[in-house]
Amino acid sequence: MLTAIIKEAWISIASYKLRTFLTMLGIMIGVAAVVMMVSAGQAVQNRITDTFASMGSNLILIGPAELVTGGVRGGRGLPSVTVADVAALKTLKDVETTSYLMNAAVQAVYGSRNYGVSVKGTNPDYLAVNNWEIEDGIMFTEKDVRAAKPYAVIGQTVVDELFGLQNPIGKTIRLKGKPFTVIGTLREKGDGLMGDDQDNIILMPSTTVRQRLAGSPRPQYTGMAFVKATSEDKMELVAKRVEYMLRTRHRLKDGVKNDFTVRLMTEMVEKVRSVGFVLSALLAAIASISLIVGSIGIMNMMLVSVTERTREIGTRKALGAPNSWIMMQFLAESVLISFIGSFVGMVFGIAFSQLGGHLFGYEVPISIWSVIVSVTVAVVVGIVSGLMPALKAMRLNPIDALRYQ
Amino acid sequence: MAEKTVIDVQHVCKTYFMEGGTSQSVLKDINFQIKSGEFVAIMGPSGSGKSTLMNILGCLDKPTSGKYILEGYDIASKDDKELAVIRGKTIGFVFQNFNLMMKRTIADNVSLPLIYQKVGETERYNRAVEMLKKVNLIGYQDRPPSQISGGMQQRVAIARALINNPAIIFADEPTGNLDSKTSDEIMELFTFLNKQGITIVLVTHEDDVADYATRMIKISDGHKVYDGLRKEYSKEKEIKC
Repeated sequence: MLTAIIKEAWISIASYKLRTFLTMLGIMIGVAAVVMMVSAGQAVQNRITDTFASMGSNLILIGPAELVTGGVRGGRGLPSVTVADVAALKTLKDVETTSYLMNAAVQAVYGSRNYGVSVKGTNPDYLAVNNWEIEDGIMFTEKDVRAAKPYAVIGQTVVDELFGLQNPIGKTIRLKGKPFTVIGTLREKGDGLMGDDQDNIILMPSTTVRQRLAGSPRPQYTGMAFVKATSEDKMELVAKRVEYMLRTRHRLKDGVKNDFTVRLMTEMVEKVRSVGFVLSALLAAIASISLIVGSIGIMNMMLVSVTERTREIGTRKALGAPNSWIMMQFLAESVLISFIGSFVGMVFGIAFSQLGGHLFGYEVPISIWSVIVSVTVAVVVGIVSGLMPALKAMRLNPIDALRYQ
Repeated sequence: MAEKTVIDVQHVCKTYFMEGGTSQSVLKDINFQIKSGEFVAIMGPSGSGKSTLMNILGCLDKPTSGKYILEGYDIASKDDKELAVIRGKTIGFVFQNFNLMMKRTIADNVSLPLIYQKVGETERYNRAVEMLKKVNLIGYQDRPPSQISGGMQQRVAIARALINNPAIIFADEPTGNLDSKTSDEIMELFTFLNKQGITIVLVTHEDDVADYATRMIKISDGHKVYDGLRKEYSKEKEIKC
């Protein structure tokens, strides 16, 4: 019986091709939008997670304390962890290595041009940690760090602003009046997660920043320190030891708050992941509005169809069709429309998200959830939007239906 | 051998109750029997109640009081689902407007009642072709009804009414939308089918059409005013109510 009903429903919707297609289009767009938004959200989430993971998941980050004035939390305080602190932390148990980053915002000058840049004092591993590559020239070495060589590796924005079309390798730039030799350029990275220009950067040996950019008010302090634990399960323990050692070294009495913050990379990944999930859900929720519009379209079409086919319904009833059959046929028509619409929408959604991923250089996962959601949505939307018209058809009095002009 | 009684109408009344507590009595104490193989014309002026009677006889409506027995089924006691089954198995309908589905093939239209009897697709098609042969429309099975004339469409509707081998065929003004020549053809087809033993009840207000029937039941103001041979009917023989 079910096969016969589905076949009758199919023939009926196929009789009105354009109308059926336009109604399906609403569901197609809705499902495609949901699939694309979910995929986009997931791609961004994966990208962020991967970025953090590439920095090493067993990393502990030590930064300045939060400023609290009168109970109001307001950004970060001054750096409090010194280079000596970082060196001391390396002696702790279960610590593999430690490093730090020194930030300085200075004006870089070359010839008659100048530009405000962010200078980061670090070690050669910075590139690997940040998935970055050298475009031209070379990166400074550990030997250069030890010798505090006046070398600079510059980002593409700095290249464009200071050198234009000239080759910057071997040229000398001035920061705070001191000369630095450009030994390499970084590959273009584009905007960061917050829209900041990641290419407006100069990398230097950390020792060079400390010694040569001595104009900095607190040159012995690090902007951010990194402690790498030997394994992920030791992180909590290492974080406690780090906190204890820093409190001791900073001579903080009991009851006095830390003048630094210790955060685990795993916690940050988890936080970002949860933000990403909320973002994906929000995008899907917005996209699902088009699904609601699509389902209203189906209901509208089915109501018109019931009215148009009133005499047909009357004839079918006179010829022996039970009420349940009439209801099932109209329900099957709306489910078929939404099912086919959802399937095509899902295929387009996956295709477009793959295309978009390809264009923007993101790896877009094909989520099994997209498929499950599409099929569920198809059946639910079909039943919900078809139920009222189907009940209307079922309740038609055959005598009135046969008389309908 | 006496013919079997197909329809037994006993004291049937039909009253419509309107909003505001008023009511309108459309059929008043109707009694008659129709035996297998009869060709009956139900006649009456507009508003006489003949369409209401037809709806009750066709199991599309139920009497307010009285008994209607069709092929042994007491119709008043049946629910909608049972009535649908009885309609599908016992009755063949022919409508004034043919009521064909224009987007379907002629074979699909003819075999439509069989879907509700859960008959398979191939058998439905074969039986439709067989019925089309009976109404002289062989070769048209795969075309849509829009490609054939009105008279032919009514023949398709007759084939559809015959496909379930019903005990009775109800035809409601079957020639109302046809010209006189085509009307004659359709009525000759009904006569032919009746001669093969099929019971036919038709509702008409046209004397020419009623002349094809052997028996006539006349309804006026909800009362049965004549029930007898068509050829013996005269206005004077009507019972005054």
